[in-house]
Amino acid sequence: MEQSEVLEGVVKILTPWVKNRDALAAVSMETNILDDLKVNSARLVDVVIAFEDEFDIEIEDEDVDTVNTVGDAVNLIVSKLN
Amino acid sequence: MSDSTPSAVPRQIRLRHAAQREIGRLVGPFWIPPFVFMLRFVMGYRLEAVSELRAQYKRLREESDAPLLICPNHLTLIDSMIIAWAIVPWWRYLVHFDEMPWNTPERKNFSRTGLTRILVFIAKCIPISRGGERTQVAGVLGRVTHLLTIGEVAILFPEGGRSRTGRVSSESIAWGVGRIIAATPGCRVLCVYMRGDTQETWGSVPNMGDRISIRMECFEPKSDSRGARRSRDLATQVVTRLANLEGAYFDDRQ
Repeated sequence: MEQSEVLEGVVKILTPWVKNRDALAAVSMETNILDDLKVNSARLVDVVIAFEDEFDIEIEDEDVDTVNTVGDAVNLIVSKLN
Repeated sequence: MSDSTPSAVPRQIRLRHAAQREIGRLVGPFWIPPFVFMLRFVMGYRLEAVSELRAQYKRLREESDAPLLICPNHLTLIDSMIIAWAIVPWWRYLVHFDEMPWNTPERKNFSRTGLTRILVFIAKCIPISRGGERTQVAGVLGRVTHLLTIGEVAILFPEGGRSRTGRVSSESIAWGVGRIIAATPGCRVLCVYMRGDTQETWGSVPNMGDRISIRMECFEPKSDSRGARRSRDLATQVVTRLANLEGAYFDDRQ
């Protein structure tokens, strides 16, 4: 799966949890999920589980610790897919 | 090995825990009695059925050496202080300071002055920045996991922060609680539901003169899931138990 496809899927999954719609409109690999998009940290687990379901992968708790930006999430998913 | 596994806690952190514990113990006679005096006679709080609570907690501690994580509902900034007062007679902390639970207060609530930072240190607190940088949050979770594994007791609020609705909220479950339970073999969770009798919603402290009711239930959460799903499952079990305790509390009040 191409990185662009994963990015599209990640943004689609994040969209319902995003509070800052302006940041979502300008989303990039560098966009911070908590600070910029204002996703509630307590909801991060729901986002991660949605990643697992969408991409048919398994993400450990410790993997989530490396995810700060949209790009981190994309790279994590790509590495799991590979 | 992950940074949140007990053995991964660096030696420097383990030494910091030991220093924090020993300094808190040494200065205990200077801060524990005044705090209890303030709660009881300045704020006027009364604990309902406190003897039964302490007996229940003593039984829990005596019947098993399994790790024990205390998970209360969260309405005020001093919930953990009141719980520590309620479950063990204050004078026991002077001679058995190790019985005082570790606590994880929100950093921004207690880092404003030098005095609060000192109090947080001697009261066995590990401040956490909820929603903060993921590796820092994971580091605190790892420290709590380590402390549980070596037989210490810790308090962690599974709702993440004080409930804005005044009721146990499943909307903002702190899945870090689930991570700790998952990483701590045999971990028991003591769910504690606490509420002042005139307390309608969240705030800084309970209303002065309140009679405070506390209900406790201990169980061992289990999940067949893996990874993040497992953490969410375990944390949800804890919050569900708290919601049940809350339901019983309000049923009894009617």
